[in-house]
Amino acid sequence: MKAAADQEVRRLLDRPSWPARRVAVWAAIVAVLLLAPLVVTNGYHLTLATNVIVTMILTFSLNFVIGRIGLFSLSHAAFLGVGGYVAAILAQRHGVEPWLTLPLAMAASMAIAGLIGVPVLRLRGFFLAVATLAFTLFADVFARQATDITGGAYGITNIPPLTLFGLPLRGPWMYEVAVLALLLSALVLENVRLSRLGRAILAARDNEAAAAAAGIDIPRTQLAGYVLSAAITGLAGWVYSFFHLTLNPFVLSLDITFLWLFIVLVGGLGSMRGAALASILLGVGPEMLGFAAAQQVLTAGVLVLLVVLLFPRGLGGLVEDIEARWRRRPATGDG
Amino acid sequence: MEFLPLVVLSGLQVGCVYAMMALSYFVIINATGIVNFAQGEWMMLAAVFGAAMLLAALPYPLVFLASILAATLISLLAERLVIRPLEARGADINILVVGLLGVLVVVRHTTGLIFGREEVRLPGPFAENPLILGETVFVLPQTLFVFAVTAATFIALWLFLHRTSFGRSFRIAAIDPLGAQICGVDLGRVRFAAFAIGGLIAALLGWLYGPLHAAGNLMGEAPGVKGFIALIIGSLVSPLGALVGGLLLGLFEVAAAFYIGSLYSEAIAFVMLMLFLFVRPQGIIPARWGSG
Repeated sequence: MKAAADQEVRRLLDRPSWPARRVAVWAAIVAVLLLAPLVVTNGYHLTLATNVIVTMILTFSLNFVIGRIGLFSLSHAAFLGVGGYVAAILAQRHGVEPWLTLPLAMAASMAIAGLIGVPVLRLRGFFLAVATLAFTLFADVFARQATDITGGAYGITNIPPLTLFGLPLRGPWMYEVAVLALLLSALVLENVRLSRLGRAILAARDNEAAAAAAGIDIPRTQLAGYVLSAAITGLAGWVYSFFHLTLNPFVLSLDITFLWLFIVLVGGLGSMRGAALASILLGVGPEMLGFAAAQQVLTAGVLVLLVVLLFPRGLGGLVEDIEARWRRRPATGDG
Repeated sequence: MEFLPLVVLSGLQVGCVYAMMALSYFVIINATGIVNFAQGEWMMLAAVFGAAMLLAALPYPLVFLASILAATLISLLAERLVIRPLEARGADINILVVGLLGVLVVVRHTTGLIFGREEVRLPGPFAENPLILGETVFVLPQTLFVFAVTAATFIALWLFLHRTSFGRSFRIAAIDPLGAQICGVDLGRVRFAAFAIGGLIAALLGWLYGPLHAAGNLMGEAPGVKGFIALIIGSLVSPLGALVGGLLLGLFEVAAAFYIGSLYSEAIAFVMLMLFLFVRPQGIIPARWGSG
């Protein structure tokens, strides 16, 4: 852990943040994702692909909190729910222009995260886990029972779609919006990683005392990271609402919380590539094998047990090992 | 005001469920320092096994004992297969939490896969006609059973931890493992006993909570979280904390549900947790009472 952290810091200082090769790889991935609807025309596959994209956004943001900040938060499903419900309720009940709900949904997620974060982020270990879990449990029950506000167990249906130049964005067009949201999230997180805030977060994770001695305000730094990840989670909730045009309390159930946490761990802490791989594997795998949605979290649970017991570095670690062997040089812990 | 006795009775009943859950967390924390988040699932397993075996027309006493035994054994299996290897590797505490949540999810959803996801009725050991105590006051035999078992469990556990030498070695094993070993404490035995007693109390709770609620694979969700919250409210170092914290949380929740609205009763656990963690992190019960 220590050696890996040292290497990481050295790498952050040494290398230019966006070498040409890296830009090319990112551009290629985005191009493939954007052009995918030309090949994937089946509506079911498109829904699956969009769900995987949304899962990736969520996984990136949770991975940032868990892997980078080092806080094992179990409250992100609640932030997803806040973003999704704010967007859905404003657009469907109050006739707010759907595009306008984007900043509102993100702001609501951030506000809740800030409110919860101030007391909760001072906790660690078991206490942080139970406090964030208790909050998600509350949010879940609220969404189910506050029927006047959230529509109860049936949730909110008939959400008006986003429109562009008077045309409603549905199916493949909404998929493109999801891809753009993914790109935005990845770019923001990647740049934050290399920014002053990102380095402060890393320093606080690896050695709180030394970081504090170097003048880093740890609670504020971690809260900033937490709120940033909540904003991205709120964005994912917004995309989810306007893709499915219906939203129910399932999005903020404890199962979803566990599923994400497991996807992040299966992917490997702090590894963006691992997170993307695990999102695809767990988003598509169980569906392809004909499992029901409820078995998705069971599959993730079995995998996470295998990972924590046998492969603590997850899929991301596996990819690094393969890459290192390929290049005949030691792995760097690159994310 | 006329419903006050009923609210109190019902609050105490919910409180007993949280208190039993808190006791099962407490035994394990007390001896090993581990918060086993899967505790709620052993309760669920006992109830689901019980309901399934009763459906197969097996005799009630046999079903009662067999379901509790089976759930306890599975809890020990989880300890052996997941918790111990992680500890042996010296895994980070957060990774341990993830492993425990992994156990929770796998147990919960495998049970759903095998026994179905519907909630089924689990008949309690006594008849179901309420005992009328007054115009608006009545109590179910199951409620009295819940009170009696919780009280008995608490007293038995208290006597075991404070009045037997094996029980006394639990606390020292968690505080100073090396020193405990020097004094002749068998850490392996303490650890096994702690997880066994913790699993047993949780499994027993299946027969208290199951008949009040219903047996189903998701029934451990809320009590599992709230049991640990109750323990934090009470005190992490005393069985009395588990009891007081559980009863208090139950009373507050039921009172809030009755007088304000059920929506807000769910926020009570989170709010009380935050309040205690920041205002009185040692819990209600002073630490020195724990060492009686």
